[in-house]
This record gives sequence, structure tokens and C-alpha cells, in this order.
Amino acid sequence: MMADTGSEEVAVIGNTDLTPGEIENNIKNTMGEVGDEEIVLPKKMEINVAEAEKRTVKNAVNMQETYTVYLIETRPADDASEGTNPTPDSLWRRYSEFEILRSYFLVAYPHVVVPPLPEKRAEFVWHKLSADNMDPDFVERRRVGLENFLLRVASHPILASDNIFYSFLTEENGWKEAVLETGFQAKADSRLKALNATFRVKNPDKRFAEMKHYGDELQSVISQLLRVRARVADRLYGVYKVHGNYGRVFSEWSAIEKEMGDGLQSAGHHMDAYAASVDDILEEEEHYADQLKEYLFYTDALRAVCRKHELIQYELEAAATDLSTKKQQQEELATGTVRTFSLKGMTSKLFGQETPEVREGKMKVLEGQIQEGEEALKEKNTECDEFVRSAWSEIERFKDQKNHDLKEALISYAIMQISMCKKGIQVWTNAKECFNKM
Amino acid sequence: MSASTPKTLSSSGQKPIQEICHPLSAAEEAVVRTPSPDVANNTASIEDKDLSLPNGTPVDTSSPASSSSLLNRLQLDDDLDGETRDLFVTVDDPKKHVSTMETYITYRVSTKTSRVEFDLPEYSVRRRYQDFDWLRIKLEETQPTHLIPPLPEKFVVKGVVDRFSEEFVETRRRALDKFLKRVADHPVLSFNEHLNAFLSSKDLNKRAGLALLTKVGEGVKLVTGGYKLRLRPLEFAAMGEYLDTFTGKLGTIDRIAQRIIKEQTEYLAELREYGPVYGSWAGVEAGNRDNNAAVGVEEDRNHSSSGHHSNGNGLQAPLEGVAGGVASVAAAMEELTEDMSQDFLPVLREYVLYIDSMKNVLKKRDQVQAEYEAKLEAAALRREERTTVPSDVEKCQDRVECFNADLKADWERWQNNKRQDFRQLLTNMADSNITYYQKCLAAWESIIPLLQERPADSFGRGQDKVI
Repeated sequence: MMADTGSEEVAVIGNTDLTPGEIENNIKNTMGEVGDEEIVLPKKMEINVAEAEKRTVKNAVNMQETYTVYLIETRPADDASEGTNPTPDSLWRRYSEFEILRSYFLVAYPHVVVPPLPEKRAEFVWHKLSADNMDPDFVERRRVGLENFLLRVASHPILASDNIFYSFLTEENGWKEAVLETGFQAKADSRLKALNATFRVKNPDKRFAEMKHYGDELQSVISQLLRVRARVADRLYGVYKVHGNYGRVFSEWSAIEKEMGDGLQSAGHHMDAYAASVDDILEEEEHYADQLKEYLFYTDALRAVCRKHELIQYELEAAATDLSTKKQQQEELATGTVRTFSLKGMTSKLFGQETPEVREGKMKVLEGQIQEGEEALKEKNTECDEFVRSAWSEIERFKDQKNHDLKEALISYAIMQISMCKKGIQVWTNAKECFNKM
Repeated sequence: MSASTPKTLSSSGQKPIQEICHPLSAAEEAVVRTPSPDVANNTASIEDKDLSLPNGTPVDTSSPASSSSLLNRLQLDDDLDGETRDLFVTVDDPKKHVSTMETYITYRVSTKTSRVEFDLPEYSVRRRYQDFDWLRIKLEETQPTHLIPPLPEKFVVKGVVDRFSEEFVETRRRALDKFLKRVADHPVLSFNEHLNAFLSSKDLNKRAGLALLTKVGEGVKLVTGGYKLRLRPLEFAAMGEYLDTFTGKLGTIDRIAQRIIKEQTEYLAELREYGPVYGSWAGVEAGNRDNNAAVGVEEDRNHSSSGHHSNGNGLQAPLEGVAGGVASVAAAMEELTEDMSQDFLPVLREYVLYIDSMKNVLKKRDQVQAEYEAKLEAAALRREERTTVPSDVEKCQDRVECFNADLKADWERWQNNKRQDFRQLLTNMADSNITYYQKCLAAWESIIPLLQERPADSFGRGQDKVI
């Protein structure tokens, strides 16, 4: 069963008006060239991933390929157009295009905790759920997840005003070319390499280090939670379903009874209802699991920001070290003393001092290098400070969002349990009434 | 059937029923309303007699101990009318006894009665399983036409069960209590002298010893019947069929209940792992908050920085709340499975024994009828001169008719008891489940306020993110 439009969730995002300065800033933040067209920045937009469809095409190697596409609907949500309800613009996107968009964000905004996509393959399944990507339930949950992703992006102060994002939503064709033109892919590769490299930072900002550690722990604990939850769901399913057998045997038994028959028969029906009720219960819980999963995947983005800080810090420290080495060399050259043992020094001693001209030359080169080095250091410092500032503000924002969202999720989980208990009481009370009539 | 039958009812191979001077014999009218609607199939011959039950079954006044001669106090409707009962028995207070030879459990058997057969209005004696077994054997011997309620199994087949464990003793006590109550409620069995002795004598030991010997004899009696049954009356055939089907259904229910317990136990195991993960997560959140505080980051300013339930971080308290909720569910589930294991399953299983007893009585009845038919046939072949039926054949016919009457009465009682017992059993099962869900509901509802605690608004970030 494909996603039914009846259950679409429409969200209205308050996108703050952008000042000219911010617009400029956004342009600066995007990689490379911006599209030739005018940038039309949305004021408010309704975004909706309405449907999912299967497509089958022949791919590059002339083989049949089946994939799912998702319909993205957008509609301006001014107060002015409130009553009119115009038809939305729409286009189709497949999952891989979402992945490209996200990769672009990661490269273009390294200080942002970029919202995650729904999982590529079904994980943490309990036995009833199919792990098949084509399974209608999986597709439906993915549709919801993709919509959630877009809404997260659209409500992010920085990401929302990115024009690549805008054209993702509005230009079915040509978007891919535009995003590739930004050259982000080359940067993506080097970024990955850098993030995975091991290097030692002498003076990391403690906050980032702690946040990275927190991200690791959070990832670990949520994974564990999801695994165990899946097992709990499996067991709960078993408990409920076996009660359905009571329904059948009570029915058979009632056939040989006189006075007891009616009571038994009715009770049997209630047992059937009880067994059937678990399907809805677990489907609701799946939604809760999805909320947890989003934050599980968020930890990767969080960790990436912390790593980026480390990288910048490392580069800063490297620049500083480089500069001080050069200054030291300058000093040595000036005073003619060799501070530390070096081969060159030895060589000089062995083969005699350099000529004044050579020394002059060297000094000049060094001076140039030192000047460059000082400028580079200054830049790096600024970059680092900027990054720390913007990234930390991002992280703070993320933390608040996380606390808010997960608290809501836990509350809704408790409410789900309450509802399940009430249903249970109802069914067994009904059954008890039937038993009393036996 | 003639009006004057001998005092004792002779039967093949059985000991003569001991005569007791029964205060209720002869003097009183048999005031009976049989609840059974299917009386039409009664095969006993209907003859005019001074005393006969409304359904036509002749009342044998000569033998006081048979049900037909007594005030047949069939329980009329569902609930036992407390007013008509004058014998109350209880089995409780199990105690372990250690003697030189053995260790065993005794139970206190308390009796309250206004019956004149008893010297005192109240008794309290201690009895062990052996004694109950003795009583049962005696009842079977002396009341062959009646259904004797079953006892719980003497030996526990499972082997691993501890005979002296609380659960086992309690389960057994309940079964013994049920047994005795069923006997005490039976209009005929309750007047049995052996029951009287069981309830009132201080010392049963000597008599108990004989029980072992007679038990062997019991088995032999059934076999020596050996006659072939010509035609089983429909109603008894129907009873047999019912019992077979019923046994099957009980077996299925037993299996389902066991399966449910198994699934619930596994669910419980997973819950025990699940809850603590929320606790670990709360720890992670707490650690993070402390670290932030240490490096001087200003978080929510509007809360006190004290202890566990500080919701400054926002997640710690909700997580611990959910951990608590899951723990409560686990505790409640454990109690539910215990209930089902202790209360539901044993009673269900004991019913199989009850069915077996009933089946045995049906078999015995068949035997008696077969014997009668054989004798009748033999007499016909001998072409006696007498116009009347020879006396030994007559006796057989009597026995058949008595047995049929007793059996039908007992069957009705058994059906009624069964209905009440199962109503009770299933209602209790429903109650256990309701209690489970109520406990869980209470636990989750108590957590909601904890979860919804908010710091005095520090969310002024202006992002309206609606999902």
C-alpha cells in the first residue's frame, strides 16, 4: 500500500525574513557559483512529501532498475493566500537525490549539524517488519522521514535560505547540474578523508571534545535501546497473538455446552479482538522508534562538526608551529648560532660559514615566508574563532532541539503505553462479563 | 420392581453397604426437583410405588445408604443455597512434620456442623495426604454408584518440583480443600460414615494402613465385570461423548495457557533488559550536563542546579521516568505469570482428574447394565416356569436403575459444579489480567507529570518547527 495522501502532514515553517546582510552571507556560504537566475528566497513555504511511487527504467547498462520516487509538494504559505489554498507545485525525487542534497550541505556548511535522512535500509527490525526496501510499510515510513528531513532543513536558519535547497524543491530538472556545478563532490571526498584521518590536537576546545564524547555515547545508547526495543516488540506480539487461540477453542467448546455456551462464545470474540489489537499498538511504537532513529543518525552530524573543529584547530596549530619554526630559523641565521643540533648546522661547521650574500638571500626568503606565515596564522585564527562561535551556537541550538524533541517522544511513548493499558482493561473486563454469564 | 426388596443391596463382588440407622430414611418425604430436563430417556421401569421421585425413578427405601432412599437434596440452581447447608469443612494450615521414619505435611481439617450424626458441632483434626487417599478409597468402595471427586496426584511426575515448596503445598492444599468440600456438599456422600470418621476421629492411622491393601482390590473389581454391553442408553452415550470432547478442549486450553506463560516469561526477560537502557541514557545525559556546567556554559538559567530531578537538561528526568515505568510493567508481568502458573493451570489440570472419575463411573454403570442384560438373556434361555422374573435378575435390574438414577443426579451436580468452577476460573483469569493492566496504567500515569516538567521557559529560540 503506497503512502496515502489522506495522512499527509503539512507543516508551516516560519522562515525569518532575511536581511540583506544575511542574504549576502548566504551567498558567500554556498560553494562556488550561484545559478544565473535571480535568487528567489522563499518567505514561507509549506512542504509536503505527499506520495511515493515505483518507477522502473532501463539504466545505463541497459538493465531494468526499479526504484521509488517521492512527490514533493510546495506551496507558499502567506497569510494572504490562507483562504485561497492554491494548488501546490510539485516534483518527483528519489532517495539518492536527497542523499546528494545532504552531502552538499555537509560540505557547504561544516559548522551546521545537518539533519539526517531516514535510514537507507531497514534496521532494528523485529520479525514482523520486512527488511525489504520495496515493502509498502517501509516506503511509507521513509516518505514520512523524508518529509521530516525537508521540514528540518526548512526550519533551519542557515540551511533554509540556501538556493540549492530551494531549487531542489522547485526545479525537477537542472537541479542536479546546479549542485554538481558547485564542485562540492571533490570537496566531499577530501572532507571525508580529513574527518577520518587521525591527528593529534594539542589544545582542543574542551567543549567540543566533550560534545564529541557525548555524541559517541548517545549513539551507543540509542542503538542499544532500539535493538532491545525491537526484541520487546517481538515478544509482546507473541503474547497477544497466542491469546487468539483462546478465541478458537472457546468457540469450539461452546458448541458442546448448554448454559455456558453463549458466555464462552462471546468471551472468545473478545480474545480475538485482544489478539488483533497488538498490530495497531506496535505500528504506533514504530513511529516512536523512528523518532529515536532520527537522533541516532543526528549523532553522526554532531560528531562531524566536532571533528571539523578539531581539524581547523589542528591546522591552526600547524600554522603556528610552522611560523615559530621559521622565526627560529631567522634567529639562527641572524645570530649565527645553532640552537638545536641540526644537520645543516653541522654541515656549516664542517664546510665553513656561508657567504654573506647567500645569508642575505636566505634572510629575505625567510622574512617573506614569516610574513606570509603571520598572515596565514591570523587568517586561521579568525577562521577558527568564527568556526568555534558559529559551530557552538549551532550545537546549542541542536541540544535544545534534541531535548525538546526527545522529551516529546518520551511523553508520547508513555501516552501510548497508557492507551495500551486502557485497551487491555477494556477487553478483559468485557471478557470477564461474558465469563460471569456462563 | 417389587415393593419389598432386601435390606442390603447386593452387587457383584462388592462389600455390602454397611447399614447405618439413618435418621432421614423412610420418615420423610422425598422432596426433590430434578434439574435435569433429559429425563425422558430414563430406562428404568416406572411402577407405582408409595415413594417415587417425580421423574419416575423408584425410590428404594430399604437401603438407607443409597441416594434413592434419602432426602435427595439435589442442589437446585447455580449457587449453593447457604441455608440448606449444615456441614462446613475447610482444609488449611499446612505444617511440616518430621518423624524418625519420614517427613510429611499435615493439613488442618476444620468442621462446623449441626448434623446429629456428629457428636460435636465443631472439629479440628490434622490429616495428611494418605488420609485423604484412604477416605477416597473408602467412599468409592461404599458408594459405588456415585461419582467421587478426585484427589490431586499423589506423586509429582515432573520430578523437579519440591514437595515441600510453598507453591506446591499451597496448590495441593487448595485441591484437597476442594475435594473435601465437594464431598461435604454431596447429599449422599456427606453422610458417609467414613467421612464422619475422617472429620472427627483423632487418629486415623490404623485404618489408613488398610487402605493400601484395598486399593489393589479396587482395580480388580472393575475388570472382573467382563460382560458385553448391548445398547448403551443415549443419554449415557452422550455423556461419554461430551466427556471426551471436553477433555480435548481442556487439553487445548492447558496448552494455550502454557504457551502464554512462556511468551510472557520471555517478554519479561526482554523488559528487564529494556528498562535499564533508559537509565544508562539518563546517565549519559547527566554526564553531559555536568560537563557543560564544568566548562562554564550557561544553559537554562531558570532552574536550580540540584540533583537528580533537575530538569535543566530536559532529558534526564523523563528517561528515568520511562525506566521506572518499564520496571513497573516487568514487576506486574511477573506477578501475572505467577498467578497463572499457581492458580490457573493446577485447577485446569485437576479437572482432567475429575473427568476421569466421571468416566470411570460411566464405565461401572455400563458394567452393571451389561451384567443385567446377560443375566436376563440367560434367564430367558433357561425358560423357567415362573411367570415372574427370577430374583437375581430382578436384583440386577434394581441395581441398574439405581445406578442410572444416581449417575444422572451426580451428572447434573457435576455439570453445575463444572459451570461454577469454570466461571470462577475464567473470571479469575480475567481479573488477573485486569489487575496487571491496572498496575501498568497507574505506573505510566504517575510518570506523566514527571515527563512534562518544564524549566521556566528557556526556549526562546524562535524556531517553530512543527512535525
